[in-house]
Amino acid sequence: MSFRDGQELFADVDLGREKFLNRVFHAVLVAASLFGFVMLVLLILDVVWEAYQGLTVFQIDPVQFLTQPSSSRAERAGFGASIVASLWLMVLTAALAFFIAVGCAVYLVEYASRNRVTRLIEANLANLAGVPSIVYGLLVLALIVNDAGLGSVILAGAIALALLIVPIIIVASIESLRAVPSSVRDGSYAMGATKWQTIRRVVLPQAMPGILTGTILALARAIGETAPLIMVGTMLHATRYPDGPLSSFSAMPTQIYNWTYQADRMFNGLAALGIVVLLAFLVAMYVIAGYLRKKYEADASLTNV
Amino acid sequence: MMAPSQHRGGRSITRRTAMTTIASVGALSVAGCMGDGDGDGLSGEIPASGSNTVAPITQIAAEDFEAEYPDAQVNVEPEGTGAGFQEFCQANSAFQSASREITDEEIDICGENDVEYTHYTVGQDTLAVGVNEDNDWCEEITLEELREIWEFESDVQQWSDVRDEWPDEDIALHARDSASGTFDYFTENINGEMGNIRDDYSATSQTDEIWDAVADNEYALGWGGVGHLRSLQDQGGELVTVDVESEQDGEFYPPEEQYIEGGEYSPLARPLFFYFNHAELEENTDLIASFARFYINNQHEFATEVDFYRATDQDIIDNHDQLDSVLDDIGADPDEITVERQDP
Repeated sequence: MSFRDGQELFADVDLGREKFLNRVFHAVLVAASLFGFVMLVLLILDVVWEAYQGLTVFQIDPVQFLTQPSSSRAERAGFGASIVASLWLMVLTAALAFFIAVGCAVYLVEYASRNRVTRLIEANLANLAGVPSIVYGLLVLALIVNDAGLGSVILAGAIALALLIVPIIIVASIESLRAVPSSVRDGSYAMGATKWQTIRRVVLPQAMPGILTGTILALARAIGETAPLIMVGTMLHATRYPDGPLSSFSAMPTQIYNWTYQADRMFNGLAALGIVVLLAFLVAMYVIAGYLRKKYEADASLTNV
Repeated sequence: MMAPSQHRGGRSITRRTAMTTIASVGALSVAGCMGDGDGDGLSGEIPASGSNTVAPITQIAAEDFEAEYPDAQVNVEPEGTGAGFQEFCQANSAFQSASREITDEEIDICGENDVEYTHYTVGQDTLAVGVNEDNDWCEEITLEELREIWEFESDVQQWSDVRDEWPDEDIALHARDSASGTFDYFTENINGEMGNIRDDYSATSQTDEIWDAVADNEYALGWGGVGHLRSLQDQGGELVTVDVESEQDGEFYPPEEQYIEGGEYSPLARPLFFYFNHAELEENTDLIASFARFYINNQHEFATEVDFYRATDQDIIDNHDQLDSVLDDIGADPDEITVERQDP
């Protein structure tokens, strides 16, 4: 009886508009979240299609592509020297950036007192992480390439990339150092360990997975950077395998960039294949970072028990 | 678990050892350079800066030179003509490609740094005016009409604004952006002043994009390097060149080899240059002079192989004469340079 009354009571309330708005809003949110995904898929499809064109229309031989250095003559050009140059860059960049960044993070978390200066340093680090990469390229061009006379060599490029990623690694390292519970440190002190012993044997090993993940993700950003390397100066075509940190070079992204504006259209096919190789490197680095995080998260939860 | 990796970290290259290594390797390479010039083969490095446009010609010269003299290295690192002159005039590069001549400001910088140089004409770039294949009205265009279309605050919106008999359709304009020497050249020679151009056209840094857009739109008009246009035509791109009025005789000429090399396709054909630093030549005479000689000997083939046009045979003779006189000035015997002069 009362049920029927209730129905009659609300029978003239029209919820159509609210329900419609509800559905519209839902659709907008779904569209927003799909947008990035769809764009990414389109991008990848486009690259794959262009690369396929390169392989079929221009008959690019994949083995030659991966092993030969580049050339002005598109039919002889390959990506090998650029891949090697990028590997050199990664090794040097990691060597230059890692110790400085981790050292800075350890100081800020373990040693520095929480005062205004420390907060100023941390705020500046966050700002540094947002500086456009070309600015680091210009800095290195002026100070290292020209003033110090090092020239446009791999090491100069690595210095620019290291400057770029140091703030990123510092931020990631601070996070993972702070995540180490202070009870663990206290335990170490209680056993009579000094501060340095505690950091070296207790804190750093626990924080290392996070630091390494951050470093690999930062390196993944560095490997795709074009602007700072163009500023430092790269070869039009990487015609030689680099024989050390003091060789002239063109890394993967800069070689792709130079290929895209050559008159001969076969270079467009080469550029598309180059992008596929670069993407493969990026995906591999993300997979390694993800694997490290998973593996050590599991280990850490065991040791914490 | 992490101990091994930390250990490895401790032993890898620190900044200080890296720097020491660099210093010693640097010293060794300098020592290596000083020993050059006695043996049969050429060896050493030539840093080459300059124009993105000319770089492919210099690059192909470099590759063939390296193939002949494997111990020699030419590093072609283009950063644009302007940026390249900044390097060149501070004596940071020995060799400079340029898509225009050196400006007065750049001459001043060279003067401050005591950089002496000469320049050599190595080929010609040609700007084509292009339209879609379906465009059956615009077959030729005067320089005045080009200026009307492209000048700053131009009133031209539709094709009929240029000539009454042309259709009442909007023109889609595509061209290079202001960062290029190509832009500098077009604006100076068509609109009368470098940088003078309307601000509502589609500007791009990639010549290919201009021609792709023109091939896709019946009512588009663009200008840019003719090599890129021919390359797109070969791939089936639906676009054609427009005959442009000649500065010389008022007739209309297409951007084709005979008219470009004959000089009738003017002003839209422009000479391309390389410059080199005399101080570097004195220090490393045989290497630099040999590369210059090699470049000049074969410049016609190099230019045409990368879709540019050759300079004149007289340019080659002038280039050789100039190189000989520079060598005389610094007290070197032109006949003792490894690569011999070959006149056309």
